Amino acid sequence: MVNTAENTQVRALRRSPAAHLWEDFTRGSVEGSHGVALHEVPFQTMVGIRVDPLSEAGVRIAAVTGGLPVRCGEVAAGPDGVSVLWLSPDEFLAVAPDDGGRADLVEALTAALGADAGQVVDLSSNRTTLELSGPSAREVLEKSCAADLHPRAFAAGTAITTEVGKIPVLLWKSGPDTFRLFPRASFADYLGRWLLDGMREFAAAGNPAWH
Amino acid sequence: MLLFSCPNCGPRNETEFHYGGQAHVAYPEHPEELSDREWAEYLFYRENPKGLFAERWVHSAGCRKWFNMVRDTVSYDIKAVYRMGEAPPVELAAAAATQAATNHNAPEGAKP
Amino acid sequence: MTTEHLPEHPDFLWRNPDPKKSYDAVIVGGGGHGLATAYFLAKNHGMTNIAILEKGWLAGGNMARNTTIIRSNYLWDESAAIYEHALKLWEILPEELEYDFLFSQRGVMNLAHTLGDVRESVRRVGANQLNGVDAEWLDPKQVKELCPILNISDNIRYPVMGATYQPRAGIAKHDHVAWAFARKCDELGVDIIQNCEVTGFIKDGNRVTGVQTSRGTINTEKVGLAAAGHSSVLAELAGFRLPIQSHPLQALVSELHEPVHPTVVMSNHVHVYVSQAHKGELVMGAGVDSYNGYGQRGSFHVIEEQMAAAVELFPIFARAHVLRTWGGIVDTTMDASPIVGTTPVENMFVNCGWGTGGFKGTPAAGLTFAHTIATGAPHELNKPFSLERFETGALIDEHGAAAVAH
Ligand SMILES: Cc1cc2nc3c(=O)[nH]c(=O)nc-3n(C[C@H](O)[C@H](O)[C@H](O)COP(=O)(O)OP(=O)(O)OC[C@H]3O[C@@H](n4cnc5c(N)ncnc54)[C@H](O)[C@@H]3O)c2cc1C
Ligand SMILES: [Zn+2]
Repeated sequence: MVNTAENTQVRALRRSPAAHLWEDFTRGSVEGSHGVALHEVPFQTMVGIRVDPLSEAGVRIAAVTGGLPVRCGEVAAGPDGVSVLWLSPDEFLAVAPDDGGRADLVEALTAALGADAGQVVDLSSNRTTLELSGPSAREVLEKSCAADLHPRAFAAGTAITTEVGKIPVLLWKSGPDTFRLFPRASFADYLGRWLLDGMREFAAAGNPAWH
Repeated sequence: MLLFSCPNCGPRNETEFHYGGQAHVAYPEHPEELSDREWAEYLFYRENPKGLFAERWVHSAGCRKWFNMVRDTVSYDIKAVYRMGEAPPVELAAAAATQAATNHNAPEGAKP
Repeated sequence: MTTEHLPEHPDFLWRNPDPKKSYDAVIVGGGGHGLATAYFLAKNHGMTNIAILEKGWLAGGNMARNTTIIRSNYLWDESAAIYEHALKLWEILPEELEYDFLFSQRGVMNLAHTLGDVRESVRRVGANQLNGVDAEWLDPKQVKELCPILNISDNIRYPVMGATYQPRAGIAKHDHVAWAFARKCDELGVDIIQNCEVTGFIKDGNRVTGVQTSRGTINTEKVGLAAAGHSSVLAELAGFRLPIQSHPLQALVSELHEPVHPTVVMSNHVHVYVSQAHKGELVMGAGVDSYNGYGQRGSFHVIEEQMAAAVELFPIFARAHVLRTWGGIVDTTMDASPIVGTTPVENMFVNCGWGTGGFKGTPAAGLTFAHTIATGAPHELNKPFSLERFETGALIDEHGAAAVAH
């Protein structure tokens, strides 16, 4: 077994950090013109990259990911659904959807770095992804995120490292009304409940709140 | 709540940052040559001005990079933000320089 | 409400003299420490031709802003000696100063929230007992018996795993303490000069011979600095450095309540300490702002975190209202211990670095600093707290006992 994640038996046993909240997420989601929905996007592949983007290794890595973002907020989109988020001038996070384990991505990035200064680490189980979407998604976030989320400062396609409800997250506006939040696994329960609480006021009259 | 402008990430709340004390204090080039007094100055003595102060901060909840800032310790006005290894803007250099100069007995190399 | 009698607001307890041309000694800073120093200089050393110079109004600095916790349960022998001496003085001072400043020995609890806290606390209790300081270790049930409004359930963020307890510790009314010292100083002939800011020092070579002030030049044989958060500013004027960093520290009070909180509860871990003042307001202190600051105010997020912790520990506080918040400027050292002794300038002495916890030390600071100024050499109790310790390495690390708390 080269990659345990490819082992279907092991994959069947995986539990995502917010799995126990999925029912609450469904119940707490609200439809309509003031709607907002929450769900978990489990098991994304995440690879931490540290490299000087201007170095030769940086150029080789960029060739694998389809580019590296050059400044705060930028996300580089590459082949096979791979996106690279900017974390700092020499630190990036490559993210790819769960499609059977992306061991190939880790391997390709490791090979691209070679023996040069830097690092490539599989961080897939470090964080999970919560997706908050709908017309009221920004308002829910703004209750406890101090970053400027107005579209003129935070357009779709922007991602930053910041705090939501006092916990550190990566916040990625992946669509006009869609935000992806990457909390560390141990904060997933807290952040999930926190966002649900922020969504309650948008439940239409007669639409029972999640609890 | 103060708003700090991280050189990498732009304006963020002060709660995203951690304080690192006086800026431009270099590790002594020849620590073994220092007297007890000089070593004490290096370890325990930092400037504590009422007014402009050049200090270090780290954007711990963001890019995790250190940077320098000149801040007024009375009004908390932020006068300048600049990267590690850079000198403060000329018009503020005096404040930082006085502080470094009063590092009495500062050995060669302990300059900003 | 409490049945204890509150003293009348004083009328005139001291004169308001103009500065003389010269004094035998001048104390810079009219907070608790400056006042206590002048008192002991006059009483123990017969030095009555002396003045306290205060840039604002009497005891309007940290003396007016602290949460008045008094205790002596510090870890190291040197600290236990000086703080316990202070506590013994607190026990006799109301009589000696002929002023009831409501020293209430209602006990102080220091909560432990983690296994690390527990080990550190139990060790401290042992050290205290060896030094003759009254100290006990309480389990959560005993904590609850002493302070029934504390939440000791184990499903809170910072569960109460026990506490150290010092029964002789407590609180006092800080403004009354200042007035008590001021009245006695005045009776003994000390000039208390307010609105008199020291702006420079006159030196003959390396010997100080006078001070420049906003009210003119004053000649003096000796100078004692007792300026708390402004110590570095004065040292710079005098031409020497201090290993001090000044930080804002804040506190708050609620409106008046029926007596609900019988003791004093402190938690170093969550940075909150609470007592109920004689009139009934809840008095709570927070942690320091992380950065240097001379603003007499603190950051709001610090208060916010403190209140979150307080409400979890004391659920009934959730309905209380904050009446006002304020800040003071505290003078912190690297080892969380004070500096009391001589300086590189001849005839100039310094008392500073009491940081977040110098109210409790007021009488001992005054006693030992007066001794140092009068004789030119430290008292046994303040010898270890010299400026030289930062060179010799004989630090007295009290972060565990002092930390941000008191
Ligand atoms: C919010 C808060 C809570 C606290 N809680 C506690 C507690 O519970 N227990 C405890 O033990 N300690 C506590 N402390 C610490 C305690 O208040 C101080 O350590 C102590 O008061 C310092 O001594 P002082 O009274 O002489 O200081 P201060 O009252 O600050 O006196 C210094 C004086 O010097 C004056 N001065 C400064 N510069 C000049 C100048 N150039 N010329 C003339 N005068 C000058 C100032 O105006 C000031 O009045 C607390 C402090 C704060 C801020
Ligand atoms: Zn940053």
